[in-house]
Amino acid sequence: MGEEREMVRMLDGQTIEVSLPNRLGYERIAMETSASFARIVGFVSDRIEDLKTAVAEACLNAIEHGNKARPDARVIVTMNYKDGVLSVSVVDEGEGIEEFPEEPDILEKIENLQTPRGLGIFLIKRLVDQVEFNKMTSEGHMVRMVIKMRG
Amino acid sequence: MEQEIQIRLERHDGVTVFDMHGDLTAFSEPFLKEAYNNANDEGARKILLKFQESAYINSGGIAVLIQLLAETKRNNQQIGITGLSEHFKKIFHMVGITKFAKIHNTVEEALESLSGS
Repeated sequence: MGEEREMVRMLDGQTIEVSLPNRLGYERIAMETSASFARIVGFVSDRIEDLKTAVAEACLNAIEHGNKARPDARVIVTMNYKDGVLSVSVVDEGEGIEEFPEEPDILEKIENLQTPRGLGIFLIKRLVDQVEFNKMTSEGHMVRMVIKMRG
Repeated sequence: MEQEIQIRLERHDGVTVFDMHGDLTAFSEPFLKEAYNNANDEGARKILLKFQESAYINSGGIAVLIQLLAETKRNNQQIGITGLSEHFKKIFHMVGITKFAKIHNTVEEALESLSGS
């Protein structure tokens, strides 16, 4: 990664790629692009909201942890729709998730026994139909999420 | 692209309302902290967090909120939340925020619940 890339491009009729600068706040571009795409292909509003949060959280992890907040890094988000299934992959330049955060316990967080962070992965798992972490590709570390259109 | 959350404090029926405009993210921390310090200076016992339905809330913002809830618990203050979209009501339930702060459907309902208790 590092070559010039347009921020948003259609790779084919059903695939959109969003290339984000590694800055907090820019996850919203991927979030809104995935929402627009989901709306176009016919997902209902509450599913779109789930998708938005999942995409934003995956990008936040990529920006902060995968890319270690490096300003020169990028996050590549690719979304594809086929046969009622929208899949979104988020790729960072990191080595993957070494240690998954423990299941969040609000009481422990309030009592300061657990870090207040670590909620992103928890939310992603609950909001999408399938998620795979730690897929290593030639571009880096990928998180792949699948969201299905409900009948 | 950092968004500054705008928090205006108002008092209604003995409840301090945090009228919040903008997004709840990690960047909200200093603003929420300042608002809370101001509320404490005024002796607030009951606090209502009023969100905009369109607010973008992410895990960084939820972490900031959890830190606030830890403070209010320590200080024996009561917290209510209103204005959330249906999606974020669901998210707050998932994360367990509702164990420490009640979510209300309207400001009126929230004020009645908080001031009556």
